[in-house]
Amino acid sequence: MTITRRDLALGTAAICLAAPALAQTAEPIRFGWLAAMTGPSSAPAVGFDRGVRFAAEAINAAGGVRGRRLEVLTRDTQGDPTKAVNATQEMISQLRVHAIWGPTNSGESLATTAIMARANMPNIHPCVVDSLIDARRYPNAFRIAPSNTQWDDAVRNYCLQRVNARKVAIIGDTTGYGVSAVNACVASFQREGAEVAYKANIDATQPDMTPDMLRARTAGAEAIVIWSVSTGMIARMLNTRASMGWDVPFVGHPALSSGEIGTLVERPANWEKVYAIGYRSCAYNDAGQLPERMAGLVSRMRGKVNLADTLLWWVSCGVDAVELVAKAVEATNSTAKEAIIAHWNTLAPYRGYYGDFTFTATEHNGYPVADIVMVRANTARDGAFNLAPGYT
Amino acid sequence: MIASILASGLAVGAVYALIGITYNTMFATSRVMSFTAGQLGMLGGVLGSMFILKLGLPLVVGLVLTLVVCALIGVLTEIVAVRPVLKSLDQHLYVLTTLAVALLIQQFTAIQWGTEPQPFPRLLEAGSGLLDEKYWLPVVTCAVTIIGLEYLYRRTLVGHAFIAIAEDNFAARALGLPERNLRIASYALAGVIGGLAGFSGGQLLLAFFANGPLLNFYGFIPVALGGLGNNRGAVIGGVALGLFQQAANFYAGGIFASVAVFSLFIIVLLAAPQGLFGATASRRV
Repeated sequence: MTITRRDLALGTAAICLAAPALAQTAEPIRFGWLAAMTGPSSAPAVGFDRGVRFAAEAINAAGGVRGRRLEVLTRDTQGDPTKAVNATQEMISQLRVHAIWGPTNSGESLATTAIMARANMPNIHPCVVDSLIDARRYPNAFRIAPSNTQWDDAVRNYCLQRVNARKVAIIGDTTGYGVSAVNACVASFQREGAEVAYKANIDATQPDMTPDMLRARTAGAEAIVIWSVSTGMIARMLNTRASMGWDVPFVGHPALSSGEIGTLVERPANWEKVYAIGYRSCAYNDAGQLPERMAGLVSRMRGKVNLADTLLWWVSCGVDAVELVAKAVEATNSTAKEAIIAHWNTLAPYRGYYGDFTFTATEHNGYPVADIVMVRANTARDGAFNLAPGYT
Repeated sequence: MIASILASGLAVGAVYALIGITYNTMFATSRVMSFTAGQLGMLGGVLGSMFILKLGLPLVVGLVLTLVVCALIGVLTEIVAVRPVLKSLDQHLYVLTTLAVALLIQQFTAIQWGTEPQPFPRLLEAGSGLLDEKYWLPVVTCAVTIIGLEYLYRRTLVGHAFIAIAEDNFAARALGLPERNLRIASYALAGVIGGLAGFSGGQLLLAFFANGPLLNFYGFIPVALGGLGNNRGAVIGGVALGLFQQAANFYAGGIFASVAVFSLFIIVLLAAPQGLFGATASRRV
């Protein structure tokens, strides 16, 4: 057989035309992951990362998404907004990712949200600051964890409806977060007709918490609501409560259930009657069982993912983030930004592990408030907690 | 309430006083306000917790090791941050160099130890309630330290040499005193005192990397109140500060307590710029 110049030209042209299509089918789905893997606020990202890796490996082991591998491109932001901004710009303009998961703390997210919005980059994050989600200003941004307001609602409802406390003390630290959270919480309790008997912002390094605890007791507080991430401050308050012989319940921020508190309280009993924000999907019922769907995930992760030193909601939320992107590509057969965002806007609800998310074109706070529950702070086991009294 | 103010106020005040003495000890032989004083206090708590709780060493061994490491940090501060800038004291470069070393210590501790407060061990298992050891241990330590320093300065040759250097550096050198060695020794001594502050107050302050800046600020106030270089003034200033701070915590609340403390500090300095117990410096013209 002889090959003429015409055959050669036609063959070359055919290869040139087919090449982009071949490359397209082989192109991986680039999943950008902005993670504060090191630095003082790295614990959540380390947990999220375990879920991300597990989910990505599972998807790729099953053949990928429509034959495309899912490639996780991680940048360590170290909890620093400046580094988060640089990493975001790198992901948008150089790595050309198809969607971004993170950042995982609100300070970084406040710095990166507008940048991602300008690039119309599909973005999902777990940050709690309310203003980070605005479907009109940031139509590309979706939250798959509760907002501050949702946390506040859950704590207030628990105090009023299950603890039956009509007079509460609301205490935070003196950080910007502590002050704003306390003010918002006071306003919401007062809107519900409850009495805020005592309100305070305490310097987290204050060595003696007796003054504030005495004032709260004198004011007649029937529950103490805590908005602080300072484990030292919380532990001192719990020790003071014990030394006062007072058994008022503590309700509030997830930091109440931090493992560090267990090492800082003078006696294990000091950590009783402490109820932290948790999630129904990651809480054991009276029989010591997780919800069925989560139990299945934990079973699959056994031996592959360490849950002993992290929180189950961080890991499962990381799994959900990866699967949200993968399923959007699978459903639309596209990695176009507009296609992914449009798909997420139709999820009502999406059945995740951490929660059933509902998104519409006008509502990007996807986490169901009914799934935010209080858990017994001192019952951590494999990253999950027992439900607080009052739930079934 | 009064008992609670007294117990916690005296305890915290004693820790502040010890940090104030740490400032003074370094200042005496170098004329430098070293802002590593608070970090030495922080290290006293962190190292004590590490040696006794994490490594399981006996109390005495843990205490000795803590003080040795703090003394070495003191010496390192002298070599790295103080000695190079002694010739230009009037430019106050030591503020930058000692702050830089303080930041280094704090960041290194944060990375190696962690950023969450960690428990400090019960040392003697003595007392409960307001007579708990965590309240009286810093007070006893402060008293023993001040008695020891008085003995050192008044009854020993080395102490006399320290005072000679502090009084007139040039004259002391002209008399043949080993000024550099004495300065190094005073920084090691300051390290020990700072370490003692953190160790004795560890049960109150916990083993926490962020205690450094706190102790730097609140330890500086007794120095300013009591007069620079005056240890007895620092003790009185520290105890007064602790009691006032706790009283303000009870009567005014957390945020306003800090405002009250610093307001009083400014008022006292306006009334007596040399400190309550400091002498006005005279200058020959």
